[in-house]
Amino acid sequence: MLKNKLNTRLFVTFSLATLLILNCFSATWDVPADQKEKKSYIKFDKQTSSQGEVLYNANCASCHGNPGKNNILKSLNPIPPDLSGKSSQALSDGDLQYILNTGRGLMPNFKNVISAEDQWKVISYLRGFNPNYVQELSKFDPNKSKLVKLTAKFDSKANILTVMALADEKSGKIPIIKAEIAVFVKRYFGNMQIEKTVLTDNFGKAQVVFPKDLPGNKTGDLEVLVKLFDENYGEVQTTNKLAIGVPTDKPALNEKRAIWNVLAKAPIWTLSLYLLGVFAFILLLLYLLNNLRKLYNSKTI
Amino acid sequence: MSDKQEKPNKNSRREFLQNIGMAGLGSILGGSAIWAGINYDNKKTKNDRIRVLTAQNELVEVERSQVKTIAKSTQETFTYLQQRGRDGIAGKRWVMVIDLSKCRNARKCMEACQSAHHLRPEQHHINVLKMQETENTPAFYMPKPCQHCDNPPCTAVCPVDATFKRQDGIVLIDNERCIGCRFCIAACPYSARVFNWAEPLYSELDKDTVYDVEKNVPQRKGTISKCLFSADRVREGKLPYCVSACPNGVYYFGDENEDAVTNGTTKETVRFKKLLADNGGYTLMPELGTHPRVYYLPPKGKVYPFQDKDREEAAEHLG
Repeated sequence: MLKNKLNTRLFVTFSLATLLILNCFSATWDVPADQKEKKSYIKFDKQTSSQGEVLYNANCASCHGNPGKNNILKSLNPIPPDLSGKSSQALSDGDLQYILNTGRGLMPNFKNVISAEDQWKVISYLRGFNPNYVQELSKFDPNKSKLVKLTAKFDSKANILTVMALADEKSGKIPIIKAEIAVFVKRYFGNMQIEKTVLTDNFGKAQVVFPKDLPGNKTGDLEVLVKLFDENYGEVQTTNKLAIGVPTDKPALNEKRAIWNVLAKAPIWTLSLYLLGVFAFILLLLYLLNNLRKLYNSKTI
Repeated sequence: MSDKQEKPNKNSRREFLQNIGMAGLGSILGGSAIWAGINYDNKKTKNDRIRVLTAQNELVEVERSQVKTIAKSTQETFTYLQQRGRDGIAGKRWVMVIDLSKCRNARKCMEACQSAHHLRPEQHHINVLKMQETENTPAFYMPKPCQHCDNPPCTAVCPVDATFKRQDGIVLIDNERCIGCRFCIAACPYSARVFNWAEPLYSELDKDTVYDVEKNVPQRKGTISKCLFSADRVREGKLPYCVSACPNGVYYFGDENEDAVTNGTTKETVRFKKLLADNGGYTLMPELGTHPRVYYLPPKGKVYPFQDKDREEAAEHLG
């Protein structure tokens, strides 16, 4: 009985472990069918390719190496594929974008880092290594995103940022339903997302709770980015300068007098002690010399 | 009005000829003056001109006679790059967070750093150490750059103000002032500084490069070098060399005043204090009161095991 139990346990552990390993190392990605079929709405050409190369070098090259140059980071497990290789090029454009947006294990997701348009540019760069590739353009009209009106209002009492997403269609203003809304705050090295991505409701409204302790500039201003992503209207973003941060004006780190600071900012006590010490020593010397002179003059030697 | 009307018109031809004459004489004189000037200019040799480096780091040629010497104040003894390097960036307080649980000893940070700062292979601004603190605790990999202390013992001992702390927290070295006494190496509890004992790797190549304090390039024999938090990159809004080269998401870098740090691999920006609070962040040797600007997250829940080949080196710490 006991042995049996142990066996089942072992079996369960073993199968779980196998599943986990398979999950981690499987070469295939479970890309949903609708994502697989996605195509780029920008035409891949030399310009998009060279723009994509810059993005690739900044975000992908440290692991995937330069395509075809065989400088992949082999110490990683699983080893990242050379993206100009056959297996990677066999993936559809939609697959590649899905992988960029989701990530897995060591592969980070770039959803909030690289915009959809820039993601297509990276893919454009990679497709340049495949002579057999023929691009199929998506039917999405990028001009549709121009119809989107994004407005953000901040309720300082409840600390909630309310975003309204409306489309200016010919039939009048209609709310954009179930669109992804992500709110970011601009920081020095990148945009920081506030809370999680939310979906708009039936009125095109979405709300994000804003933290109260976010440092702003000297006057408390924050540059708030609101990004909308919708299947029909594409990616749209607006920037608002809102005075909702904590005013921050910290002094320079080398402002205070300290023993480690430059001579001009040395502590008063060090300066005075040093100067007084030298002065006192000179006085002492003069006193001793004077004594010697007196001794000589008295001719007692 | 009336004057003009009363003026007799009879002499207009004489006046006209007079004017022509004057203009002719004037142009002959002017022309000969220009011609003489050009001739004079052509006769000038190289010795009459002088090459000058402007504050904007441009090399220009001016005539020696045009040069005026101005008495220097102490502030003006620095070049543009030196002064910029000393000033730093206002309103910033850089911080780095190193997540030890993610380090896989890929050593890409070291590679990127050494190539950027023209270092020899044995010189490290950042070094991935193999650590074992006690016999019963697990070994782990620990990247260790300069800690850019807020109370830096190295700058306190410098006798010539060659190493200094900037307003944005970065501790830098000005090799134009360094006398190579190595007091700072002795003072640094983190062993963050290296000395150029030999002729630097690219000394021939860097011969004509203007010295940049924020990059410490060209390196110079007989002076100190150390991690600079990539002050030249940070000025451009880019992450430091090591941070952006890491393939494993170990490094976060950002501004403490903004309470945000950005991961060099995923480029994701998160809140600095929350990251430390959620993961038990700490600093190295806090008992010394140096107040480092580099924070560590403990090696908890590592996916990558410590390699057997590194055990011997790690055990050296046990003493």
